Amino acid sequence: MPVNLTCNAIAMMNSGDVNSKPLVQVVDIKLIGNSQERYRFLLSDSESTQHAMLATQLNEQVRTGRVKKGSIIQLIDYICSTVQNRRIIVVLNMETIIPEYEIIGNPKLPTGSEPEANKSMPNNNLLEPSTRSTNNRYSAPAPANKAQSFQPTIQPAYQPPPNYKIQGPIMKNEAPARIIPIAALNPYQGRWAIKARVTAKGDLRRYNNARGDGKVFSFDLLDSDGGEIRVTCFNAVVDRFYNVIEVGKVYLISKGSLKPAQKNFNHLKNEWEIFLESNSTVELCPDEDGSIPRQQFSFRPITEIESAENNSILDVIGIVISVNPSVPILRKNGMETQRRILNLKDASGKSVELTLWGDFCNKEGQKLQEMVDSGLFPVLAVKAGKVNDFNGKSIGTISSTQLFIDPDCPEAQGLRAWFESGGRNTASISISKELMPGGSKNEIRKTLTQIKDEGLGRSDKPDWVTAKATVVFIKTDNFCYTACPLMIGDRQCNKKVTQSGNKRWLCDRCNQEFEECDYRYLLQVQIQDHTGLTWVTAFQEAGEEILGCSAKEMYLLKYELQDDTRFGEIIRSRLFHQYLFRLKIKEELYGDEQRVKITVVKVDKVNYSAESRYLLDMVTKNFPNRKQF
Amino acid sequence: MDTSSPAAFVNGGLLRMHVGRKVRTVIQVTRSDAGSVMGKSTDGCQLVVRGSPPAPLTSYVEVIGVAENENSIRAELWTNFGDSFDASNYDQLCQLANGELKHLFL
Repeated sequence: MPVNLTCNAIAMMNSGDVNSKPLVQVVDIKLIGNSQERYRFLLSDSESTQHAMLATQLNEQVRTGRVKKGSIIQLIDYICSTVQNRRIIVVLNMETIIPEYEIIGNPKLPTGSEPEANKSMPNNNLLEPSTRSTNNRYSAPAPANKAQSFQPTIQPAYQPPPNYKIQGPIMKNEAPARIIPIAALNPYQGRWAIKARVTAKGDLRRYNNARGDGKVFSFDLLDSDGGEIRVTCFNAVVDRFYNVIEVGKVYLISKGSLKPAQKNFNHLKNEWEIFLESNSTVELCPDEDGSIPRQQFSFRPITEIESAENNSILDVIGIVISVNPSVPILRKNGMETQRRILNLKDASGKSVELTLWGDFCNKEGQKLQEMVDSGLFPVLAVKAGKVNDFNGKSIGTISSTQLFIDPDCPEAQGLRAWFESGGRNTASISISKELMPGGSKNEIRKTLTQIKDEGLGRSDKPDWVTAKATVVFIKTDNFCYTACPLMIGDRQCNKKVTQSGNKRWLCDRCNQEFEECDYRYLLQVQIQDHTGLTWVTAFQEAGEEILGCSAKEMYLLKYELQDDTRFGEIIRSRLFHQYLFRLKIKEELYGDEQRVKITVVKVDKVNYSAESRYLLDMVTKNFPNRKQF
Repeated sequence: MDTSSPAAFVNGGLLRMHVGRKVRTVIQVTRSDAGSVMGKSTDGCQLVVRGSPPAPLTSYVEVIGVAENENSIRAELWTNFGDSFDASNYDQLCQLANGELKHLFL
């Protein structure tokens, strides 16, 4: 069927008409841009052609083939700007009418020089006062860098017919730029304006680099379509806006430059970041705009966090079931900070540990502690928490994290309702404990030679097995170490302490001295079964089970009372006992060589009844005709 | 170790296979008199064991002796096995010792 493209569509668009919604044909599509995926169309109205950039939110249409070379499309929303003396159209919204069609007419391909729209254009900052509708677009190419001094070349969008002379007073058009959704912002955009609420305001930071001293601050915006973007100000611009911007208020912002977002610090879902300049405008909108939400979250249930990637950033919401006191922690760079550990529980049946760092401990952390101490179980929403996989999976705060206690959002209400109607009493499994796969039901039983033969411990995660074996030798040199008895939160420090002066002990981590230290086992034990023998290391709890008394008692016996006879008797009496050892096997680098290290995590006396059942099962499971006993 | 007269592991049901021969079994004592003890075998049968049981007698006792008939044993050796015992494990052992794994025993 014959198709009629909109007559003179190209000329109309180039002269600034953004209302006509013309029907044009895509003659060519090119993928350009080295760091981002940008598509450039060559559009035709069957006679003339014009390049047009596709806004990134429409990239999907090219990728899926909804629009391709030859497609007849209707331009619904688009703007015109001038980039390096060339007219470029940016398509913000389009509809493919006919996906495939032969090239209509004989469109003239661009030769590379200026298209006719620039015929009698003075190339300086003259502006024609506009008598058209406020939809006329004035183009301003994005400034290349912050330290530039060139003036943006502003050219009138509407080309007057040749018989008008450019005369008369020079006036700047003060018509407000059209408000567009944050999602539509891109560096090729002409004049734009966004109306959004500040969801986060960063601290004012000073820095010093090769160019000298500087200061910077950033804030995050959210608009009514749910689009988010970070805005950053440097130096003089900081002075203009730092006190103007307040979290929770709505602003109309215009004339900033768009650059790729720094993904290391900026976790918002936007590939761009706005940089405000000396000519940027930030206007407070005093009318409470209910269409713009206060915050945007995408909460993940705690059970999903278990499989989240280490260091990923996410939002989570849960009921606070415990809050530990704040403790000072010495960081790697020598600075001291505060740390608090809380536990959150949600309706997925799982709970997770949340670590608060720095100021969060004193502000929200303190408030939560008070609430929990008085019997309340507040809801806590975390925006931009970081996943840590050191001990199971846990979440920690980072500088851009935000905490909300009992927020007024539907998820919080749902959680509260769940908690009150039974959730409170349901036990939840913590995803933040070191994974020890297999309880008594599915533990893996191995013989001691199987550990070597099967190369256990060589993969990047440790292997956990159970072995039934007998203690045949206990090393008595260095069977324990002097440990720090101070508490860090709910855990004992346990770091090895050094002697300071006479009879006093110093802990480097807690930075404190004390008279009495604790003694903890660091036992090297040789165990044997019917297949072979191996060395294992047993720490405190396992050591106490094997020796039947505390490390302190043994220490006093050997070094204080110097009763080697009694000491030797105790050791000998503990040999040749058989246990079920739960072992953690992991290969580690010792100097130059890789050695398999086996740690005893738990020691259990053999339960003869259960063990017999296990053995009977092993015996019968390979019979050809398995009898049901 | 004297292996001249091994005793076959039996429960109530397997006793008849060894009448006249040396057997061993564990019973749960139900009644104890001067010259005999009545007990439940690990597969639930009532057995009579003749002889002089030790005093005191625990709930479970192992007896080694000669099978008189399909439900009585003349005991030569009594051993107290305490008050808790896993009967099902022992029962499974008796079945294996007389069945698939007979060659490992007598």
